[in-house]
Amino acid sequence: MNEPGAFSVWLTQHTPSLMLWIGAICTLGLYSVLYKENKLYRLFEHIFLGLATGYMIAITWTDVLLPKWWTPLADKGQWWLIFAMIVGLTYYFIYSRRYNWIARLMIGFFLGVASGRYFQAFVNDTWPQIPASFKPVIPHGAVAAAAGSPAIKALTLPDAINNIIFMLILLCVMSYFFFSFDLKSPVLKGTAKLGRWMLMFSFGAIFGSTIMARLALLIDRVDYLLNDFGPELGGPTAGPRVMFAVLIALILLVLFLVSRSRKSEGDASVTEV
Amino acid sequence: MKILRVLQEVDRRYLYAALLLAVMLPFLMDVKIPVPISAQTNKMYTAIEELPPNSFVLFGVDWSAGTRGENGAQTEVLMRHLMRHKVRFALLAFDPQSKELCQRIAQRLQTEYGYKEGVNWVNWGYRVSSNLEMYLKALAQDIPTAVGTDIHEVPVRTLPVMAGIQSAKDIALILDVTPSSTFQAYIQFVAQPYKIPMGIAPTAVMAPEAFTYLDSGQIVGMLAGLQGAIEYEQKLGVVGKATRASVSLSFAHLLIIGFIVLGNLAMLLERRQKSRLHEGDAQ
Repeated sequence: MNEPGAFSVWLTQHTPSLMLWIGAICTLGLYSVLYKENKLYRLFEHIFLGLATGYMIAITWTDVLLPKWWTPLADKGQWWLIFAMIVGLTYYFIYSRRYNWIARLMIGFFLGVASGRYFQAFVNDTWPQIPASFKPVIPHGAVAAAAGSPAIKALTLPDAINNIIFMLILLCVMSYFFFSFDLKSPVLKGTAKLGRWMLMFSFGAIFGSTIMARLALLIDRVDYLLNDFGPELGGPTAGPRVMFAVLIALILLVLFLVSRSRKSEGDASVTEV
Repeated sequence: MKILRVLQEVDRRYLYAALLLAVMLPFLMDVKIPVPISAQTNKMYTAIEELPPNSFVLFGVDWSAGTRGENGAQTEVLMRHLMRHKVRFALLAFDPQSKELCQRIAQRLQTEYGYKEGVNWVNWGYRVSSNLEMYLKALAQDIPTAVGTDIHEVPVRTLPVMAGIQSAKDIALILDVTPSSTFQAYIQFVAQPYKIPMGIAPTAVMAPEAFTYLDSGQIVGMLAGLQGAIEYEQKLGVVGKATRASVSLSFAHLLIIGFIVLGNLAMLLERRQKSRLHEGDAQ
């Protein structure tokens, strides 16, 4: 039996440590774009993209095509699965002027399937939202279940006010989307304007949420550098503080470079004048 | 005044440095900020709490390393609750990376809660997302046939965790942690047609649009981004990644609001100064 080489033993022992170092170097390399576009950032960006694409191709084969298609076809005698490949390959007739009708046939077939599927998707996705938009606006007490009709929950005054606000916004936003005729009525003009304002509020909320999402990603990386990689650098107790000091030093270095580049830009513009 | 101009022309890299500092500092400080728990998080908690013991949850995990900051924390906190509540669950990934990332989370947590892979939970693995709707339709009708084997290539029919699970009717709850619209496919082809309650954990970018589904009752609860995960950890009484991040998130938000106010204030003051100067010149 072959003894494992010294390198493979070393690699096995140091894999967790190596993973932490690679993760930290890649994180810092990718964040270097915040200073300016640079080759280090490009290198890590391409590594990440290449890894993700390669991984996706490999896993599509190992997790999907191999167990679901190739093994049943080659080992279990399910010969009819060959038609799946034939159908798939017909798409490539799109490159032939003479036979591209074969590809169009298949594309047409799958467009039909997708349209039918979309109809079901629409029914289950959008339809339930229409009756849910008709909300009661007058406060009332609870009504017990009777034969053939379900129990109705009480509607408190705050809930009724909420519902009124919802209904008003719904109608205003809908009136903004009346494109079929000219909005001459002052009432319709007013509601459409209010609807536009409400849409702006919602876009603002989406933008705010986007900022929160991006910050969450930054926080995750900082957490990694301080609490996962930090102990690797400076030991389990002092590690996060050591990493904190390293990051502060990096920030100061970047700020120094920024101020120097701004100064030289300023000097250059003065010389030009 | 010069300061008003400077405030409007600050190099963006100084702002990045300040932001990084605001995010880093709380990790070394013992600061706690109370987090009010939102209605949608409470609803999600109740939906899991009301599950009968040993019921079966389909746990969709459709995220990659790019959104780990949000979706990772959400997955972990939901998995904790499922394990604590002693319900079975199956992971299903429509993203190639998610299969592996969530496997690691489940393996790490299972020792804490006395769970065992194949007995209490299973990873069904990755399926191609371009075929997601068709796959979900097939899955809803015959789960063991559609899934085939788990990630260790063990036929799922033989696993104890799958005992009594044949079709969508045997699923008590669907969860989907996602940075994309995969949750809509679950709603359209499994949750709505088979009347299965569903909860989602989208990224914060997706959350505002997902509220419509919450309002119409198509989903029973939601964890909105990292904030949702923070709230859920509070609810469970655990201190995990999300809670550690909560102060950083608040500091960063405060800093950004401060920058916006300062920049706008400087712009308005400068505009006022200029108009006064113009008035003076005109006179």
